[in-house]
Amino acid sequence: MFIDIDCVQEKKYKQNAFGDYFVSKRYPQDKRLIAVLSDGLGSGIKANILSCMTATMLLRFIEKNIKIKKAAEIVMNSLPVCQVRHISYSTFSAVDCFDDGKISVVEEGNPDFVWIRGTEVLKPEFTIIDSVNFKNRHMKVYKMNAQLGDRFIFCSDGVTQAGLGGGVLKLGLRRSGLIDLLKVKLANNPDIASHDLAKYIVQQAKLVEPNRKPIDDISACVLYYREPRKSLVFTGPPYRQSSDREFAFIFKNFVGKKAVCGGTTANLLSRELNAKITMGRLISIDSLPSCLEMEGADLVTEGVLTLTRTFEYLDSKIPDSNNAAVRLSRFFLDSDEIYFMVGAKLNEAHYDPTLPVEIAIRKNIVKKIAEVLEKKYFKKVNIQYM
Amino acid sequence: MEEKKIDVKVCLGTTCFVMGASNLQELIDSVPKRYGDKVEVTGVPCLGLCSIDWKFSKAPYVKVDDDVIKEATIDKVFAAIDKKLGNS
Repeated sequence: MFIDIDCVQEKKYKQNAFGDYFVSKRYPQDKRLIAVLSDGLGSGIKANILSCMTATMLLRFIEKNIKIKKAAEIVMNSLPVCQVRHISYSTFSAVDCFDDGKISVVEEGNPDFVWIRGTEVLKPEFTIIDSVNFKNRHMKVYKMNAQLGDRFIFCSDGVTQAGLGGGVLKLGLRRSGLIDLLKVKLANNPDIASHDLAKYIVQQAKLVEPNRKPIDDISACVLYYREPRKSLVFTGPPYRQSSDREFAFIFKNFVGKKAVCGGTTANLLSRELNAKITMGRLISIDSLPSCLEMEGADLVTEGVLTLTRTFEYLDSKIPDSNNAAVRLSRFFLDSDEIYFMVGAKLNEAHYDPTLPVEIAIRKNIVKKIAEVLEKKYFKKVNIQYM
Repeated sequence: MEEKKIDVKVCLGTTCFVMGASNLQELIDSVPKRYGDKVEVTGVPCLGLCSIDWKFSKAPYVKVDDDVIKEATIDKVFAAIDKKLGNS
């Protein structure tokens, strides 16, 4: 199973810093993901510091498998004391989960999370751990087994208390209101991505606030167990032309999204699979050759120039454009598992010293893309040479 | 009998693109204005010509029907189309 996680936040009205803090980290080798959402006391910079310290410290403690009770005490003792209230405090929800469905959650002070399977809300059992040094502070510890399609929704009290004291909802949205919203949304859109659902929750919470001005920081974090989205990139002709057909059919039979990078490669697939290639009326966008269209492929681009630019975008920032490299970058980011089929045949013309630009070696640029996708975007990447 | 259209193919392979095919956008825009529907112009993935005579570096390539235009420019392509149409 793949864990799709995202958090969307909205600042309290007239504040310039988020008082809630979200942090997550994947550990691909252990097939593990840790995430912490913390809500700092008060709002603005003060809350931001408290929540940031809480979330990052807890993440490190959990990562090192330190007992949560001890970790939470250390965090609470470390936080700066508020000058107004003379206490140090921030709430948190910490999640430690694995690809096989094993998931443990520790909550202190945040609204109870919602576990949804389809549109049914499950009620997990929990144990309570009281704080040694602080009265009235206790943690709820959950241990669960998630199934494919399960969602876990965490939020700060900015969501459940949205609209409190004014507007239509006198008592605020509350957890029950959030559940109602989730049920309707998931019934209409059962495959919604975590980012979109988190964004929807935040929007809805903001809508019920008086004058749509949040009176507290609003954060929603969604964790969704789903099948990984697989995609295949076919780039470069195979070393032996006699294998063209075999590899073309591997491309054809792949289940998932498919991209082709390279003119000769596109011709090869078109010939072997009898698929027609067409193109629009633009030769180039942002000095890159435009995309082509081919039956059976979701994206067809030129080869090495586009791959080189795609690496630059992934490594730094993806601009707001519709050029081929931006489209290829988005193609990668919309996938969880990416398979590369890289042809080893060289085109001598690319290494002609009279060319005005240096053209990278395909194999090297694919390796660099794979590295950035794994390290920066936590994608699973597999490269096969042909 | 319907007259057969002249088929112009602009190679958009990597070598042709960096050697100047990126400047042939005007061709796509101005051919319909100049010749109406007698000529059809399209971009194509790679004509594979650079790898045949790469040592001579004649990219960018454009094909007007079966005639290959080496080191193609807009003027050269227009001249080739005119010749086919018997305008010159």
